[in-house]
Amino acid sequence: MANFKVSYRADTALLQNLWVKSWLIIFIVAMLLLPFLLHRYELSILIEMGIAVIGALGLNLLIGYTGQISLGQGAFVAIGAYTSGLLAGTLGLPFLVTLPLSGLMAAGLSLIVGVPSLRLKGLYLALGTLAFGFIVEYIIFHWDLTRGDLGMAVPKIGTQGFFIETERQFFYLIMFFAAIATIVAKNLTRTKIGRSFVAIRDRDTAAEAMGISLAKYKIMAFAVCAFYAGVAGSLMAYYQKWIVPGNFDISLSVAYIAMIVLGGVGSILGSVLGAILITGIPHGIVYLTDALRATYPHLSNLVVDLKLGIFGLIIVLTLLFEPQGLVGIYRRIKVYWKTWPFKY
Amino acid sequence: MKIRLWRVSVMLAIVICLSMNSAWAAEVRGVTDKEIKIAWLTDLSGPGKYAGPPMCDVARDFVAMVNDQGGINGRKINLIIEDNGILPSTTMNAAKKVILKDEVFVIAMNLGSAGSRAILPLCEENKVVVMPHGANKDFYSPGNKWVFVPHTVQFDMAARAVDYILEKNSKARIGMIYQDDDFGREGLAGATAAAAVMKTKLVAQAPYKTGTIDFSPHMTTMKEANVDAIVLWTYLPQSAAIIKQKVKMGWNVDLISNNTTDSPALFALAGEAAEGYMLVTPYAPLHLTNLPGVQRLREMNKKYGNPAKTLDDPAYNSYLYASSYGYLVALAEGLRKAGRDLNPETLIKGLESIKDFDMGGLCPNITFGPKQHVSSFSSMVLKADAKTKRFVIAAPIKEPKITQN
Repeated sequence: MANFKVSYRADTALLQNLWVKSWLIIFIVAMLLLPFLLHRYELSILIEMGIAVIGALGLNLLIGYTGQISLGQGAFVAIGAYTSGLLAGTLGLPFLVTLPLSGLMAAGLSLIVGVPSLRLKGLYLALGTLAFGFIVEYIIFHWDLTRGDLGMAVPKIGTQGFFIETERQFFYLIMFFAAIATIVAKNLTRTKIGRSFVAIRDRDTAAEAMGISLAKYKIMAFAVCAFYAGVAGSLMAYYQKWIVPGNFDISLSVAYIAMIVLGGVGSILGSVLGAILITGIPHGIVYLTDALRATYPHLSNLVVDLKLGIFGLIIVLTLLFEPQGLVGIYRRIKVYWKTWPFKY
Repeated sequence: MKIRLWRVSVMLAIVICLSMNSAWAAEVRGVTDKEIKIAWLTDLSGPGKYAGPPMCDVARDFVAMVNDQGGINGRKINLIIEDNGILPSTTMNAAKKVILKDEVFVIAMNLGSAGSRAILPLCEENKVVVMPHGANKDFYSPGNKWVFVPHTVQFDMAARAVDYILEKNSKARIGMIYQDDDFGREGLAGATAAAAVMKTKLVAQAPYKTGTIDFSPHMTTMKEANVDAIVLWTYLPQSAAIIKQKVKMGWNVDLISNNTTDSPALFALAGEAAEGYMLVTPYAPLHLTNLPGVQRLREMNKKYGNPAKTLDDPAYNSYLYASSYGYLVALAEGLRKAGRDLNPETLIKGLESIKDFDMGGLCPNITFGPKQHVSSFSSMVLKADAKTKRFVIAAPIKEPKITQN
């Protein structure tokens, strides 16, 4: 099965062949039709997944591509959410202004961890980002402007009688931004910036020797990651319409780490798959308990009691049997069908 | 040109899709001719999971009783219990599930103030009445059309605690140890306001973070301020730790806490040192079987529940059973008053028309109104008897001098 390219443009194309283009068209049509086929609850789950995809993409660019560990992703999501809440609620700015500003605010504040990251590595950097997360949580909890534990209302998206209110409308909105985020991330990894990230991840000393500015690209990686998280936070705030500090604690940062580890570190597709899996597991458990409730109520109650354990078990089993994550499974299937009926 | 056409097509499709909206359904969500679906959100797996089982027990018993009696206005109750994990994010998932998937008519209970606030926009959007446990002043001041609180709120209970101390000793120096969150600060606000009415103030305040186990700094602060009584706006484990600290310091200071510590587990944790510990609660202890309200509750539990594993078990958290019962009684009365033509608006009117509903001494009578979605501001003071491992009434049901309404 030959796949020859006769021009540089063809070689660098995002959609390499007709097969990929066909599947993409089918996917787009499916996404356009899904809201008419699915229930509101299922759409709400997909919306959550879409928001998680955006946050996971940013984190994978930082951890997977640049090799900089961060346990503060939840904090950047919080910054984005509260920035939107404040700008929209207090200043009345429209969504199309608050969304990028939320990303920029998160990116700007990422310098607080980005600059120290130049001197920190590994566990020390992880602790630094973790501390940042706790600081942000403390601030949003105690600052009068963010209304602490009382939470903050976020106005609807829209104006002049048209508002984005229904699950269907939010689905299209979130999927649009998730698609943009994925395309931008994919393209970023194919540019000089992406290659610099990978070089820093693989051997930062050698990268510096080759002329790659560690300071510039490490800070850029944090900024890009934070921008993505800020956008995700903003979309989450608009969708939920009320934000409380409890939404952005350490468990959110851990969930994002789990998304990229289970999905596949250093892979854009892995970020998407991991976000879908981690967001979907709790809802899958809900479906399971509902299905068992009528016929096996005791088993259903047991599943509820063991919910966290089941969640952890799924993660552990996935890591045990597929250390490369879900994208590893995808790659194996792809290679199998590409080479079929041959083994190699 | 091809790419431009492709981009324009995608944008056009998105605009068309965004402008589409669902038609308003003719039927009332969660209500049929034969049944009403109600949701009961409590913590079964999260930090507050000790509260889940008793709250679920009373819900099942009550619904069994109501259905056995033919339902409400000819409709039986279909109870959907969902684990909300008490945290805002998990509560949001649970609320979305019961509203969007199960399509319930009303959320008769949601445990957790922060979670209740997080789901409020969802409830407003879908016209779902919600009854939060652990309510906070945002729910009732200025008030929300969709929120009803059949429970005395923290502000008023804290005010009652301070009133009680000052009634005994008008010159008492009062300190306060409180959890540094919504719940604790609500208590602080009530205590501060009540002290101000009596032209005094709290002489010492010591907040603590959730999960704190060492209260020696806090108690030292209180001792240095020479307080006569300490108001504790804490949960059970923290109250028990403070009691032990008090004993360790050899300091005989009065402690008065809130309804969440009304549990037999306090005696297991603090032992004999719990003697004299006071708390403010709207619910009478369930060993007072002379009260008609307590009798009704116990009869329901005996007929439809498992008394040996619930109210007859000395280790059982009967306070949570009783307080959740109040929610169910209020909702049932509201549904009854709403009549056969049941929809969210008629339920709200039905609830608002409840006036002085007799609770038989179990708790303050329930009254709602168009401008009052909190059922009562009254509470009583209980004192711990370490010998019998029970709480007894030290001061009867009474409103504080200042109320949050």
